[in-house]
Amino acid sequence: MERKYTILTILLVVLALGLVVLPKNKERKEIDPKVLLDGVVERSRYLSVDQVTHRIIENDPTLLLVDVRPADQFKTFALPGAINLHPDSLLSQSGTDLLGQPGKDKVLYGNSDLIAEKAWLVCTRYSVNRLYIMKGGMNEWFNTIIKVKPATGTPSTTDLDLISFRNAARQFFVGDGEPATVTTTPIQKEKVPVIRKAPSASTGGGC
Amino acid sequence: MIGPIISSGIISSAWDNLFAILLGMGFGFALEASGFSSSRKIIGTFFGYDFVVVKVFFTAAIVASLGLLYLNYLGLIDYSLLYIQPTFLTSAIVGGVVMGIGFAMAGFCPGTSLCAAAVGRIDGLVFFGGMFIGVFLFSEAFPLFENLYYSGSQGSPMINSVFGISPELFTFILVLAAVGMFVGASWVQKKVKKVEY
Repeated sequence: MERKYTILTILLVVLALGLVVLPKNKERKEIDPKVLLDGVVERSRYLSVDQVTHRIIENDPTLLLVDVRPADQFKTFALPGAINLHPDSLLSQSGTDLLGQPGKDKVLYGNSDLIAEKAWLVCTRYSVNRLYIMKGGMNEWFNTIIKVKPATGTPSTTDLDLISFRNAARQFFVGDGEPATVTTTPIQKEKVPVIRKAPSASTGGGC
Repeated sequence: MIGPIISSGIISSAWDNLFAILLGMGFGFALEASGFSSSRKIIGTFFGYDFVVVKVFFTAAIVASLGLLYLNYLGLIDYSLLYIQPTFLTSAIVGGVVMGIGFAMAGFCPGTSLCAAAVGRIDGLVFFGGMFIGVFLFSEAFPLFENLYYSGSQGSPMINSVFGISPELFTFILVLAAVGMFVGASWVQKKVKKVEY
């Protein structure tokens, strides 16, 4: 091997070794309070249950569901692929490793928004990126996807598509059950008063 | 701390195409300067008389890896903002085999064929045309391949987390592997009959 390549090789090995032996930076990076406030005001952190459900069914590889409910509730029922992370463990090594995964949209959910919001705030403060909340939590998910409400009145095409998607999603998760049907209000026949024209006198003569 | 300059909003995504052109020109220049527009040079990897392709790409990988980890350590880049291409294992294996066969048969990969076409090599132009026909046929027949295309979804796993080691330790092992490959390739090259081209 030529001398210059030998020197370059040694340099690369030394640099790589340096990465291994350098002390790890344990200090967590906190973001500017103003940036945090902007994040709190901004509502783009919310994903609807329909959006999350769609990504679960599509098997979206960038989705990471984080269930912040207690372990017993998680064991009873959880969204497919979700990982249970109790709020106490958010700042532990396993928690930061989980939430620090690059290339993933981390979606937090609890039973309602309460715990997920707190978890979001703590994690955002410590610079966790691509962090979202499933709006309404499991209660909203159950009421929307499993207990699909039939449309009333005269639903638009968008509403019908949404109900159809939710029915399909419910079958995906539960496997059976009667699909929600569209119950439309029957149109009452209005009684139209018929006003009969009084016979008029025939026109006499021509033009 | 900054992340990738476009995805973090420092530069508008309207500049995407301009950056693509500039980076493409730089990449093309580097490929041509390394002699990658010659199919004989590339095919040398398979016959053992020239390992420059493997050396160049392995060097690029370890330099980029080291640079990224050092910038992350120094707080100059946010490692977590990088986009990681999701892994679809089955389609990656099938696609890798198909591409490998094409690579060995023609002596070009898509990028180097463009370099060869740009400097007027006939084999590069033929490969370039064939590539477009292949892309067209694949696009038209996509419904047939769709299930295969999306099969074996693994998410975006990092190889270091699969092995349960830190990114720094993995990079160190990768650099040692690269050095081992450089030495091994030089040894093989000495044993194989030299080809003039």
